[in-house]
Amino acid sequence: MNRESFLPPSTQGSSSAAAAGRAYQPTQAITYLCANCAAPNTLTRSDPVRCRECGHRVLYKQRTRRMVQFEAR
Amino acid sequence: MVSFNTLERERYFQNPPTDKSAFPLLAEAVAPHIGSFNALTAGGLLDLAVKDIGEKVIFDSNDPKRLGNKMSYRIDQVQILKPTLSGRDKTTINRRVYPAEARERMTTYQARMILKFTYSVNDGPEQSENRDVGFIPIMLRSNRCHIEKMSPAELIAHKEESEELGGYFIINGIEKLIRMLIVQRRNHPMAIVRPSFTGRGATYSQFGIQIRCVRPDQTSQTNVLHYLTDGSVTFRFSWRKSEYLIPVMMILKALVNTNDKEIFDGIVGSDTKNSFLTDRLELMLRSYKVYNLYSQEETLAHLGDKFRVVMGVSPDKTDVEVGREFMRRIVLVHLKSNEDKFRLLLFMIRKLYALVAGDCSPDNPDATQHQEVLLGGFLYGMIIKEKIEEYLNNFAAQVNQDIVRGQPVNFSDHKYISKVFLKTNDNIGKKLNYFLSTGNLISQSGLDLQQVSGYTVVAEKINFYRFISHFRMVHRGSFFAQLKTTTVRKLLPESWGFLCPVHTPDGSPCGLLNHLAHKCIITTEAVDVSAVPSLVRSLGVSAPNMAGSGQNMCCVQLDGQILGWCSHKTAKRVADSLRFWKVEGTHGVPNELEIGLVPTSNGGQYPGLYMFSSQSRMLRPVKYLPLEKEDIVGPFEQVYMDIACAPEEITSGLHTHVEYSPTNILSILANMTPFSDFNQSPRNMYQCQMSKQTMGTPGTALRYRADNKLYRLQTGQTPIVKAKLYDDYGLDNFPNGMNAVVAVISYTGYDMDDAMILNKSAHERGFGYGTVIKVEKIDLAEKRRRGEPVAQRFGFGSDAWPEEWRIKLDSDGLPIVGMLLEQGDPMAAYFDENLGRTKVMLYKSSEAAFVEEVRLIGDDNDGEFQAISVKLRVTRSPLIGDKFSSRHGQKGVCSQRYPAVDMPFSETGIQPDIIINPHAFPSRMTIGMFVESLAGKAGAMHGIAQDSTPFQFDEKNTAADHFGKQLAECGFNYHGNEPMYSGITGEEFKADIYVGVVYYQRLRHMVNDKYQVRSTGPVNSLTMQPVKGRKRSGGIRIGEMERDALIAHGTSFLLQDRLLNCSDYTQANVCRDCGSLLSTVTTVPAVGSAAEIKCRRCATRLVNKAGGVAEDIHGSGVWEDGAGTKFQGGDNTTTVAIPYVLRYLDVELAAMGVKMKFNVKPT
Repeated sequence: MNRESFLPPSTQGSSSAAAAGRAYQPTQAITYLCANCAAPNTLTRSDPVRCRECGHRVLYKQRTRRMVQFEAR
Repeated sequence: MVSFNTLERERYFQNPPTDKSAFPLLAEAVAPHIGSFNALTAGGLLDLAVKDIGEKVIFDSNDPKRLGNKMSYRIDQVQILKPTLSGRDKTTINRRVYPAEARERMTTYQARMILKFTYSVNDGPEQSENRDVGFIPIMLRSNRCHIEKMSPAELIAHKEESEELGGYFIINGIEKLIRMLIVQRRNHPMAIVRPSFTGRGATYSQFGIQIRCVRPDQTSQTNVLHYLTDGSVTFRFSWRKSEYLIPVMMILKALVNTNDKEIFDGIVGSDTKNSFLTDRLELMLRSYKVYNLYSQEETLAHLGDKFRVVMGVSPDKTDVEVGREFMRRIVLVHLKSNEDKFRLLLFMIRKLYALVAGDCSPDNPDATQHQEVLLGGFLYGMIIKEKIEEYLNNFAAQVNQDIVRGQPVNFSDHKYISKVFLKTNDNIGKKLNYFLSTGNLISQSGLDLQQVSGYTVVAEKINFYRFISHFRMVHRGSFFAQLKTTTVRKLLPESWGFLCPVHTPDGSPCGLLNHLAHKCIITTEAVDVSAVPSLVRSLGVSAPNMAGSGQNMCCVQLDGQILGWCSHKTAKRVADSLRFWKVEGTHGVPNELEIGLVPTSNGGQYPGLYMFSSQSRMLRPVKYLPLEKEDIVGPFEQVYMDIACAPEEITSGLHTHVEYSPTNILSILANMTPFSDFNQSPRNMYQCQMSKQTMGTPGTALRYRADNKLYRLQTGQTPIVKAKLYDDYGLDNFPNGMNAVVAVISYTGYDMDDAMILNKSAHERGFGYGTVIKVEKIDLAEKRRRGEPVAQRFGFGSDAWPEEWRIKLDSDGLPIVGMLLEQGDPMAAYFDENLGRTKVMLYKSSEAAFVEEVRLIGDDNDGEFQAISVKLRVTRSPLIGDKFSSRHGQKGVCSQRYPAVDMPFSETGIQPDIIINPHAFPSRMTIGMFVESLAGKAGAMHGIAQDSTPFQFDEKNTAADHFGKQLAECGFNYHGNEPMYSGITGEEFKADIYVGVVYYQRLRHMVNDKYQVRSTGPVNSLTMQPVKGRKRSGGIRIGEMERDALIAHGTSFLLQDRLLNCSDYTQANVCRDCGSLLSTVTTVPAVGSAAEIKCRRCATRLVNKAGGVAEDIHGSGVWEDGAGTKFQGGDNTTTVAIPYVLRYLDVELAAMGVKMKFNVKPT
């Protein structure tokens, strides 16, 4: 993982997205891996869970590229 | 010789075999389950079942005088396909469903069942139609399963364990199995003395002969002969849960065309001098005259008339035909011909008279000799059979309903038939699903079984030991669990080699829940015995129709069919010859045939030569000495055989057999206890229990599992000290503990009372490190009702929601894989379109967990994305308070993690990983642990694995000497003691310390799941007392006995603190005058003054002249309640401390019209 992809956890603050004056914007689609053929799949929220390649019915979410733990102890 | 086989094992892991498993013993362990399921289709049991159900007939007339058109229908064939997708989904190429998908998606591993429905109208040409009756759950690795014949490599490719065993079902993602049940041995009349028999009627005695007859399709029907005190005999059976009694004479006469002389001769034989017998028989024959039934036809017609309604047969059958059907379906159903039934019934009557006269002893129904095992697959088949019959009856009921309602009924119209099909409930699969998921049996007939629930259990994968022992478990039946007598629980010598004497839980299921010895097999197929009747005849047994009876002659039976009669001397010769041939494998006698020769005795078991060849019998291999070959013996014959336990015991002229190994009597788990022959026996039982609760390795395909909870030990090792069977069963694939250097020493006092000290450095090196893996399923469709449109979808909406939700969740609303979730963190976000709001599901557990996997789960149809499952990993490093145990029933709790510098050390500089107290040994006498310690130490020094199979040492060649020499060889003390030095002072201890290497298990009972503390917290709203239960953060009750202890100590302040102040302490107002708690009120304060407490009851209500509300009255002592009513007086109130429930009691009593009065006085 390169240094640039590290996102420091945003600080607390209970202000909502709307209160912060930020419009809701869909971020780039997340890809999921098929449990059967490991093909990457994207999914909109109302799609059925189906692999586009083989039609399998289980998809795995990939591990995040963000740094999860800074100190290993 | 045992070995670590490190290279072999690593090669096996890296390149799983592509042909067959390296551990055939594991597959043998579950063979009874899979074999019995395969027998349904491959063995043709279901086809036999539908044949037995036979043809159903309906008529279309609503005129009682006329029958009308006849439609006869039956099921011709039952077909079970392989698991496929069920839904209407069109996109998928591969429609096969593999078990791993069922586990991941938490669905059922099921396949379509198809019935071939054949019918004919007015006996015309037959028409057939295939009916789909739903999806039935399929047993894994059975012949209906996709992974049946897969090699380890293929299994891994299909997301299974390399050693996947099968034998269970997957129901809603949960692995379930039908447990084996002990039932009475089939087709063998058993003499029973049961006091409860006397309750059946006026003259009933306690004597009976019971036979459990099993049809070829494995369904059973029990018949009982009762002895009445007047000397006659009644035949009893139960049909659709009701019991019926018939004089046995009537059955005899209905079976064959016979006369009184034939019956008399058939029972008495040559014993005409036996007046006990002849008197009673004569009476029975004479008293039957009152029925006036002489010929077979007459008797059949009589029975047919009486049982026409009960049997539910077609109305066009004559009474005689109904009577024949009755004989076929109820009387001794294991036999085909009526002559055979007749002869066996005569034999049973004679045995009954012998039992009453005391010529033979009753048979023990609790002994393995008279037991067999009801296998899961057979039970499944029985249920399918019953549901098919129900389906056929429903079809008739539907037609009858149409007739009654006057709707047009036309059998020859195909459209009408499909309309009836449409209306009948044809989902047999759903019913089987219900059976497997609940274990409840819903049945009209009761299936001749004694219980209605508890047939299935979850195959828990706590660790592999627990998992495998589920498949070797046999239960005596939940009926016996309620029995107050302990006779059924006793360990009887008859079960030698079949049921493990060690492996049974202690406590309530003790002795009822047994485990099969590891070499015990259960037959799932009937063997071919067609050659036996003629062989027996050639050896000097008479024909069955020859008159012969009684205990002077030997009755030769095969599966409850009388083959003939001979003298007892001949019988011995016959039995010996058959046994020789059976082991030799010649003359067409199969090795699985059980030849039970019961010799004559003085009032012992009823003699005879009884042979068994059917399914469900327990069998085990022993060596047959004359041929030095393997003989397979059963529990019935074993009782009368001479089997030496060890080769040196063989006495010539006495023993015919010898055990292959003395460990054959132990179950798989009991065999894993090292040197168990050195231990006190209860300790071995405890070890069998504890190995099943160990945090070990449940499997290797954990990625593809979605169990609710899994325990996993990260640092499992192969034991240095292990039995040979450990490798044969491939248990290195599933390590269950760690080798630890254990010192037996009383050090620092932290090892008192079964506590143990853990070396902190060992802990830091990963000793005992484990994780708990939990899976939570989030299904948005769960809350939605049927037919409603989808309104909730995963993800964030465009409304306002707290920004910090995005710390743990991705933009898709699902948790970030790898994130640490703490209590109250969001686990998934979804947008509710009806409310227009984004909502989250919270992580509720108080223990932080890492998100290991997030799975998106599709459904069978092309439905929208509605469900996910989140796999969470909770780290569980060993804490103070966690439970550990060695393999000898020596459990202990970690009391301290002691720093390495403070641990004692030996002259070689070795410091123990674990310190246990010497007091753990004298009373428990687990010498096996000492031996393991020695063996482990020697093995570690020499780098060898040590064989710990029990019964390999004796007085001359002792274990202590064997391992002592090995120790001495590498410079240690021969006895295993070593001088040690205190880690704190550096001084040498006065005594030498016993140090060695012992395999330790970490048990799954951990403080983190157990601790319960509370200072303040939730209270019950009715009583204001603290709630109970750890989950609700409740308190621990100071019970009656704890209270007694406090009283006895005189600690009254503590008592008051616990029982009142820390519980439901309240202050209440009470009136000093009337003593009431309930009548006090708080006044509405006048401006400028404080509220006061007054008694409303003692006050006088002020009214104005009109009798209305006195609003204008003012003055001293006048007060006003909340409703504005004015009062005067009632001032004498005070405040007291009471428990809140007292107030509640007062209110409850007041409601019943009872007044409580409290006399309040200052003390």
